[in-house]
Amino acid sequence: MGTSRSPDETRAGYGPFGLSRDPRLRHLSTTAIAAWLLSLVACGFIVALLGFFLVESEPFLRSRGVELIGSPYWSYRHDRLGGLSMILGTLIVSMIGISIAGPIGILGGIGLSELTRPALRPWLKIMVELLAGVPSVVYGLLGILVLSEFVDFTGLGSRDSLLTAGLLLGIMVIPTVFTLTDDACHAVAQSYRDVARALGLTRTESILFGVLPSCRRGIAAALLLALGRALGETIAVFLVVGRSDNQWPGTGEWLEIIGRSGQTLTSKLGSTEVFIAYSDPQHWGAVVSLGLILLLTTALLTALGKVLMGTGGKM
Amino acid sequence: MTPRRICDRAFLAACLAGQFFSMTLLLGILAIVVAKGIGVIDWTFLTSPPAGGGRSGGIGPAILGTLLLVVTTGILAAPLALGLALVRTEYFQPGRVRSFFELVLYTINGVPSILFGLFGYEVIVNRMGLGKSWLAGGLVLAVMILPTIAVSIHEQIEALPPSYRDQARALGLNRAKVIWSVVLPQTLPGILTGTLLGLGRASGETAPIMMTAAVFTGVHVPTGIRDNPVLALPYHLFVLAQDSHDPASISNAWGTALVLLGMAFLLTLASLPFRVGWRREEEAR
Repeated sequence: MGTSRSPDETRAGYGPFGLSRDPRLRHLSTTAIAAWLLSLVACGFIVALLGFFLVESEPFLRSRGVELIGSPYWSYRHDRLGGLSMILGTLIVSMIGISIAGPIGILGGIGLSELTRPALRPWLKIMVELLAGVPSVVYGLLGILVLSEFVDFTGLGSRDSLLTAGLLLGIMVIPTVFTLTDDACHAVAQSYRDVARALGLTRTESILFGVLPSCRRGIAAALLLALGRALGETIAVFLVVGRSDNQWPGTGEWLEIIGRSGQTLTSKLGSTEVFIAYSDPQHWGAVVSLGLILLLTTALLTALGKVLMGTGGKM
Repeated sequence: MTPRRICDRAFLAACLAGQFFSMTLLLGILAIVVAKGIGVIDWTFLTSPPAGGGRSGGIGPAILGTLLLVVTTGILAAPLALGLALVRTEYFQPGRVRSFFELVLYTINGVPSILFGLFGYEVIVNRMGLGKSWLAGGLVLAVMILPTIAVSIHEQIEALPPSYRDQARALGLNRAKVIWSVVLPQTLPGILTGTLLGLGRASGETAPIMMTAAVFTGVHVPTGIRDNPVLALPYHLFVLAQDSHDPASISNAWGTALVLLGMAFLLTLASLPFRVGWRREEEAR
């Protein structure tokens, strides 16, 4: 899918900065300079974003990094800055989220790609896009007023709990899994289905053995990207997770804490404690380090997902 | 029915159920927000400033603030994204560097928005001395939606039939002229689509602006740049939602949610005509 080049340019090839190796073509137009300047500014911001988290967290991680990822106790008033219970909280809510959104999104995506009339497909795609475009604060409001009542009603957990946050995340990342699965399945050539059907396979078998083997990388990518979304979601989780620090399970309590309120990395980073932390280098270092952990995890998941998807994948 | 046929039917039914559930979700969310919010909305609610901690009064300044943020973000992000996309398609040789560049762009798209907020708070608000300001918020949101726009433009440029470019080259146009007379006019739908989609996302974001741009009360219209925060719909809703035991706050929260949802949906839907036109042309080729 490369951009087409006129033959003389292709032969001449490009040197550094995309300048042509052929001297006749080597001139820097105002357009080129403008494009380069604009993208340098854009890249500058991106580099600054990454650099900020690395530079600001470095001194803290050097001196107290072990405490941050080894201790579950966080109480800045007592200078205890362990992030383990927040990391556990983030893991729990995103795992609940992905185990709900995964099956529903994948089945729905297969349904959209394989079972829906072609004329209907663009409209359903638009609906999924709208669903993905619902602001997370609106999900948060629905979470507080609808979902937490439901969780309370079932008796599985308290209103504001890791469980509520996980369920809400499950609903929120469905569109991501859904639309990426559909894209992956839709990219499989029609002949695969035709051949499978001609061999006498049922529609299910033709999907499972004809279509899915060719797009399982795409579906894996969908799950990874959705997991990245779930890990980083802040506002909706903040509103329903309860935000109580130091929820570390004692022996035999591993299931119980799911139904209790807790804290995630993002709900900590989104709280007003960030403004308090700003005046204390240690506290601020710890907050930025939590941000760095989140950044590295989501970046890794997204990059992995992108690589799995191959070139030409949509977002 | 044979067991094989039962399995077949069961799987197909499960797929349809997954699809049905997702679609019902959208309709359900819409139905709840509209049903609870529509009664709150009237002219005074849409124009008057909030009062009594959001329990009474309206969301006028918050609507203005969000519009200001969205416009600022669009103006800042579109040219930067266009620059990125042009450099990537017109000036970069396909190869390792370009693939790495693309990977970075995709990765940025996956960075949680709260991290943009933290970055903006430290670097733009404090280090650059802009203070809490609509411009700081616009900058942060612009960086956040850069990949969305850049990828949309990129896709559109890639979809350009090679013959367009070849003909322009054959007429003796140099690379800059090809960009101005072929690539840019043909890419306009991509720029608009990407920008509107990105802005649809940006308009609903709370996390990046609550540290850089938004306050809850006390401002009508910003009068300068530095230390000039705005009210914004998502942040307003975020604060109201935390007051969930108070029925007056909650009823205003539903009204705010309806306006915010409407705004985000309008921006997303506004990008559709451009995409439909572009698809049609692609099919006609």
